[in-house]
Amino acid sequence: MSELNHGRASGRGLVRGPQSLVAGIGLVALALFGFWASGDLPQGTLRAMGPGLMPRWLSVGVGICGLGLVLAAFLKDGEPLARAAWRGPVVVTLAIFAFAVTIRPFTFGSVTMPGLGLIVAGPLAVIVGGFATPEARLRELVILALFLTAGCMLLFGDLLNLPIPIFPVAVVDALSGTLSTRTLLRLAAGLLAVGGLALLFLERAQRRQPVDVAHHSMTT
Amino acid sequence: MSDLVSNLGLGFSIALSLQNLALCFLGCLVGTLIGVLPGVGPIATIAMLLPITFGLDPVGALIMLAGIYYGAQYGGSTTAILVNIPGEATSVITTLDGHQMARQGRAGIALGIAAIGSFCAGTVATMLIAAIGAPLTRLALVFGPAEYFALMVMGLVFAVVLARGSILKAVAMILVGILLATVGTDLETGQERLTFGLAFLTDGIDFSVLAMGLFGIAEILRNLDHTETRDVVRQHIGRLLPGRAELRQAAGPILRGTAIGSTLGILPGNGAVLGPFAAYTVEKRIARDPSRFGRGAIEGVAGPESANNAGAQTSFIPLLTLGIPPNAVMALMVGAMTIHGIVPGPGVMTKNPNLFWGMIASMWLGNLMLLIINLPLVGVWVRLLKVPYRLMFPAILMFCAIGIYSINALPTDVMLIALFGLIGYALIKFGFEPAPLLLGFVLGKLMEEYLRRALTLSRGDAMVFLERPICAGLFAISIIMLVAALTPSLRRSRDDVFSEA
Repeated sequence: MSELNHGRASGRGLVRGPQSLVAGIGLVALALFGFWASGDLPQGTLRAMGPGLMPRWLSVGVGICGLGLVLAAFLKDGEPLARAAWRGPVVVTLAIFAFAVTIRPFTFGSVTMPGLGLIVAGPLAVIVGGFATPEARLRELVILALFLTAGCMLLFGDLLNLPIPIFPVAVVDALSGTLSTRTLLRLAAGLLAVGGLALLFLERAQRRQPVDVAHHSMTT
Repeated sequence: MSDLVSNLGLGFSIALSLQNLALCFLGCLVGTLIGVLPGVGPIATIAMLLPITFGLDPVGALIMLAGIYYGAQYGGSTTAILVNIPGEATSVITTLDGHQMARQGRAGIALGIAAIGSFCAGTVATMLIAAIGAPLTRLALVFGPAEYFALMVMGLVFAVVLARGSILKAVAMILVGILLATVGTDLETGQERLTFGLAFLTDGIDFSVLAMGLFGIAEILRNLDHTETRDVVRQHIGRLLPGRAELRQAAGPILRGTAIGSTLGILPGNGAVLGPFAAYTVEKRIARDPSRFGRGAIEGVAGPESANNAGAQTSFIPLLTLGIPPNAVMALMVGAMTIHGIVPGPGVMTKNPNLFWGMIASMWLGNLMLLIINLPLVGVWVRLLKVPYRLMFPAILMFCAIGIYSINALPTDVMLIALFGLIGYALIKFGFEPAPLLLGFVLGKLMEEYLRRALTLSRGDAMVFLERPICAGLFAISIIMLVAALTPSLRRSRDDVFSEA
C-alpha cells in the first residue's frame, strides 16, 4: 500500500477520491465473502426465517454501500489515501500475541508453549509493545514493566481474585504445598516493585550530571 | 409525584449503601484517572475497565461503570482545557475557549466552571431521567416485536444522520456491525453460521473483545501514528472557584446548555455529541460581543460543558426505558448488563427496580463526587498529563490484554483484540468511524430476533410493519430523517454545526 499512499486527489485524474475507491472495494470484497460464506445456510421463508437470511441480505446491503463508495470515488473529489505506519501495528500485534501465547500453555499445531503466567507475559507485552514507537528506551520500559506487573498482580490476582495464571506452571508445581499462592504472589509482587525502584534510583543517579530530561517530541 | 419520591427514596437507599457508595467513588476516580490521559476517551476507558466490574453484583457493577463514564467524560474536559487535546468528540468545543482561558492563567476557573456546570446539568438531567423514565417505560410495554424492530431501525438511522462524515460510510459500518453479530450459533435453529468451523467463533464474537480491539487497541495505533505535540499549560492553574461576576456570567449558559444537552441526549442515535456544538453556537449567536469567543470566553466553556454532561446523562434514557443504546458508550453498558444477565429494556424497571432507581440515584451522587474529587485533585491530573505517551501506551496495552484474558481465560480472545485493533486502525485510515459498527453489533442480535418474531406472528406478512400505527410512524420518521440528511442543503448545515469550531 505504501506506493499507493503517495497518490493525491488532484481532481484531474480519473479517480477523484482514492480513499473512497479503496474503501468501497474493500466493502464489496467483504460483501462477496459474506455472501459466499452464508451460501450454504438455508434462507427459510419470511414466516420462518432461516439462519442464512440475515447474513445474506446484510452482505447485499454492504455490497451496495461499497458500490456507492466506488461510484462516488469517480464522481466527486475526495480524500487521498491516508499514510499508514507499519511499525506501530506490527509491533503492537506482536506484543499482544506474545502475551497470548505465554500467559498459559498454548498449542498451535505441534508446538506447545509452556504456560509462563503473568509474571513473564506481562513484562514481555510491555517491553515488546513499547518498541512500537521509535522513542522507546529499554531501561525505561523495564522499570515500567516491573512496576506495572507488580501492580497488576496485586490488582487482578489478589484484590479482584480473577482466575489469571500468575506464575509459570513449573514453578507452581515445584512449590505446591510449601507456600500458599497468595503469599507467593505478594512476595513476588514486592520483589518486582523493589527491583523497579532499584533500577529507577540507578538511572536517577547516572543521569544526575547531564541535563535532567531529554526533550522528546512526545513530552512537550 | 409521590411515586417519584418513593422511587427516588428506594434509589438513594441503595446507592447510599457503603459498598455502592465506594464503588461509585472508585468508578469516578478511576474513570477520571484514565480519562485524563490524553488520547484515551470514555469509550476506550470503559472498554478497558469493563472486565474489572464483572466480578461485582449487577447493581454495583453498573453503578461503577456509570461512575467510570462520568469520570472519563470529565477527565476528557480536563485534558481539553489543560492540554488542548479533546478526549472525545463532545469535548472538542471545550478546547476552543477552555484552553485559551488556561493560557491566560485562568485554567482553574475554566476547570471550576466546567465542574460546576457539569454538576448542575447532571442534577437536572438526573431529575429528568427519574421523571420521564417511568412513563416512557409504560409506553414501551405496549410495544410488540414489530415496534421494537422499527424503533431500532430508527435508532440506527439517527446514529447515521447525527454521525460526522460520509453517510454512506456510516450506513456501511452499521451493516457490517450487524453482520458481525450474526456470526456464531443461530439462536433459533441452532445452526452455526459464518464460523468456518472455528471453535472460538461458535458462541459468536465476544462483545468486549470487539470493543476493546476497535477502541482500545486501534486508538493506540492511531495515536502512535502522529507524534503528538502536547501543549500542557505552564501557567499557574490559579484559583478554582469562580468569583461572583464569573458565576453570574456563566449561569445563563449553564442553564441553556443543560436544556440543549438534555434534549439532544434523549434522541436515539448519538444526539449527545451534538449538544456541546449546538450550545456553543447558541452562546455565540446570542452573545453581545461574539468576537470574545475563541479567546477565552467563560460562556464558551460553561455552555458546552453543561450540555456535554446533560447529554451524557440523558442518553441513559433510551437505554434504561427502551433497551436501545443511543451511542457506543451505551452499547458498552448493554454489553455489561447482558453479561450480568439483565436484558436492558422496559422490563428492567419492573423486574429490577433496585437496579433502575439505584443507578439513577447514583448518577447524582456520581456528579457530586466528581465535583469533590476534581477540584482538589487538579494538581494530580496536571502531573498525569505530563506522562509521555511512550510510557502510557504499553501500560494500556498490558491492561487490555490482562482484562480480556480474565473474562474467558482464552488466549484466542487476546489475539482477537489485536486483530480487531488492526481492523479498527484500517477503518480509521479509510475514513470509517468505528462507533456505528459497535452500535450495529449490539443491536444486531436483538434486531434479528424481533424481526423474526414479528414476521412469525404475522405469518410471514411483511405488511405488518406498515399496518401497525406506531410501527409505521417510526419507519416514517426514519425515512424522513434519512432523506433529509441526504438533501444537500440540510447536509451542509449539519456539517456547519460540526465545523463551527
